[in-house]
Amino acid sequence: MELRRRDVLAGGATLAATTLLPRTASAQTPRRGGTLALRLWDPPNWDLDQTISYKTHIAHTFTHSRLVKHKAGPGVAPGSLVIEGDLAESWTQPNETTYVFKLRRGVRWHNKPPVNGRELTAEDVRYTVERFLTVKGNANAYMLRSVDKVEAPDKYTVKFTLKEPFAWFLDMLANPMAVAIVAKEVVDKYGDLKPWESVIGTGPWMLDSYRPNIGYTYVRHPAYFVAGQPYIDRVEVTVDEDNASRTASFLAGKYDLGWELPGGIARSDWLQLRDTLKTKRPNLRVAEFPGNVGNHVSMRVDQKPFSDLRVRQAMSMALDRKALIDTLYEGSGVANPPGVPLALKDWSLPVDQLGDGAKNFAYDPKEAKRLLAAAGYPNGFPATICWTTYGTPIVVDHAQLVVKYFKDVGIDAKLDTKEYGAYISTCFYGKFDSLAFGPQTPFLDGDNYLFGYYYPGEMKNQSHVNDPVVADMLVRQRRTFDVGKRRELIHEAQRYLAKQVYYTTSVGTMYTVVWDGALKNHGPNLGYDYGGRLMAAWLDR
Amino acid sequence: MLKRYLARRLLVAVPSLLIASAIVFMLPRLIPGDAVQLMLAETSYAKDIDELRAKLGLDRPFHVQYVEWLARAARGDLGESLWTRRPVLSELAQRLPVTGELALYATVSALLIALPIGVVAAARQDSLSDYVLRSLAILGLSVPNFWLATLLIVLPAIWWGWRPVTGFVEFRQDPVAHVAQILLPALILGIASAAALMRLTRGMLLEVLRQDYVRTAWAKGLTERAVVIKHGLRNAVIPVITLLGTQLPLILGGTVIIEQIFGLPGVSRFLFDAINQRDYPVIQGVNLLVVSTVVLVNLVVDALYAVLDPRIRY
Repeated sequence: MELRRRDVLAGGATLAATTLLPRTASAQTPRRGGTLALRLWDPPNWDLDQTISYKTHIAHTFTHSRLVKHKAGPGVAPGSLVIEGDLAESWTQPNETTYVFKLRRGVRWHNKPPVNGRELTAEDVRYTVERFLTVKGNANAYMLRSVDKVEAPDKYTVKFTLKEPFAWFLDMLANPMAVAIVAKEVVDKYGDLKPWESVIGTGPWMLDSYRPNIGYTYVRHPAYFVAGQPYIDRVEVTVDEDNASRTASFLAGKYDLGWELPGGIARSDWLQLRDTLKTKRPNLRVAEFPGNVGNHVSMRVDQKPFSDLRVRQAMSMALDRKALIDTLYEGSGVANPPGVPLALKDWSLPVDQLGDGAKNFAYDPKEAKRLLAAAGYPNGFPATICWTTYGTPIVVDHAQLVVKYFKDVGIDAKLDTKEYGAYISTCFYGKFDSLAFGPQTPFLDGDNYLFGYYYPGEMKNQSHVNDPVVADMLVRQRRTFDVGKRRELIHEAQRYLAKQVYYTTSVGTMYTVVWDGALKNHGPNLGYDYGGRLMAAWLDR
Repeated sequence: MLKRYLARRLLVAVPSLLIASAIVFMLPRLIPGDAVQLMLAETSYAKDIDELRAKLGLDRPFHVQYVEWLARAARGDLGESLWTRRPVLSELAQRLPVTGELALYATVSALLIALPIGVVAAARQDSLSDYVLRSLAILGLSVPNFWLATLLIVLPAIWWGWRPVTGFVEFRQDPVAHVAQILLPALILGIASAAALMRLTRGMLLEVLRQDYVRTAWAKGLTERAVVIKHGLRNAVIPVITLLGTQLPLILGGTVIIEQIFGLPGVSRFLFDAINQRDYPVIQGVNLLVVSTVVLVNLVVDALYAVLDPRIRY
């Protein structure tokens, strides 16, 4: 199917998803069986709490359950992240700092030692959360930092007491980057959860085999707690690290989903392949929607020259975002506002609605030079940009174009290339002297994009922002449970941030997600939850 | 005699191996980036960087680390992978058969292509077929194998929807599919070597065919087949065998990319990942293994001379 970029950008993800709704599939009876073939990644290890790698997080969405999850299916528009129960049958919030979850009864662990298919209990949930918060090396533990204590008053009840109100608590629990429920016996048996044999959960599929660097196989969990699901018997995962090989395999119909996150094809590949795919895989289904990986230049706003608002405005005005989209993404990208990217359509405010701050996002090199001169830098200033290539040409091109645009207004920025590990352990967490550039983590909630990057002292506050106005807004939105009011607070924060431009927000890509026509009842969305999106899908072949 | 010769050659190989070991130990540490930083990038305890470095023994002086590694390597212990914490030797043992098989098939393909073509080109010197075959040889030498591999994977998929096996199939699972999946990468790897071998075969055979004893063979009324193959090729092939020995490092080097492209879980792909992760013991172990193999193969090639040419004595 063809979608015009204007349509997608104007209507956001909804239009793309609506156009693709497989209505006939919904009316058909799901069919059991079949093997789904995917290209995924080789996890660095299998312990969710010992890695920040999406490779591990995605692999666990097939095998593990969470308390709550994001609703999936063809009826859910990409970018819409509605929370529903997973292990939790229901939950209540007696007050702003207490959540009580009632677990489903009869949830069975995979039938593997040492749990051997025993029933999941509230104690398992309590243990998992405690481990998540206390195990050394869990970089994502901050997501549940608001938890004061977790209790299991009875076999099917879990009670969380928070230190302070946190309106995003359920969103954190639903995120595949956070808590997937594990069993204490398994941790005790293996010491940690790094070996593949320790991948034992209550999820729809069981990890049946793993061959490092080659692939892994999931088989259906026969005692999965949703009756009849999953419909697909086997999921064969190939670790295919060569793009030519992946492309050929996809053309030959050997993968049922696109090979890039979240089941898509990179824009440059898509443009080259789409005509061939029309003849080779005429039943292929396609959805386009804004991606949630933001790119920005962070800067030491606690130091000169970036402490001067005029310098920050000049840097933002120096970027020609339209040209960046045309060059990097072949015309199909998104100009994100500060903070929450457009992909999270329920929370983000488009650039043209940013009020006074919108002018900072318009390409105006003349005004940028005037602002720099007014700030005392008529000839610009030198700077270094700490970055890493991520091994991806698109990031390299992006960084070089940013340097070019800065240079056009007099900012003589030099790229200081770091190895991935060195970059992540330093610049990604704000340890740099001048500037840093790179893609950011694709979160699924507004808070991670705002609180993390703008609240004083936060690990990901790369720009060293310490603005009491922002801090107050961010705390207030966290304490506002009314979704409408919280949205307004976030929009207010975005309008303020657009004026302050603490980060030079650049452009992001549109996802082009593709899947085989035989895969029914599947709806694409943001995030790592492949397993969740495939749980109710079935194969018609 | 042969035993004494081999013993002498082995003795000469010791300093070569020592020099090579120092290089393979030093080079990974010269790559920008640090294993400990890469490891900590996956976790949050960046404050523990010194602790982890000490735990892995990477905080000690360079020469101390080298001597200790060398002493352990001499006892057959190549250390543990920094990432998997498993012995490098057992990791290698799992992957060696795949690379060995690939290198063997590549060598056999190279010979199967090079010898007949080289013989035909020499026997039909300056004919159209000679020019065509020599041009093909130059093409084979010029085309990078990763480019050829990419074309051979992508074009059949575009034209016919055909794609080589994805995901590695082990021999015990399906012997036919196992061999089939290695044939194409082996052929690609073998092509560059085949081109070099073919050119040398042709050149040497032309030289031999001009010798007096060949003229005598023709005068005796022997068939072309007997003259070229029995009297010519056998004497022309010795330098070809020497070249084959020198082609092995090239073939092994080529496997680094080819295993990655075809998803073959061999030693080279293991090395590729280890370089990305700065897994020093693995990089050192693999390189030491490759260097030792090359030394050994050269030794075998030297020993083969006597078999091929009875006049050669040690």
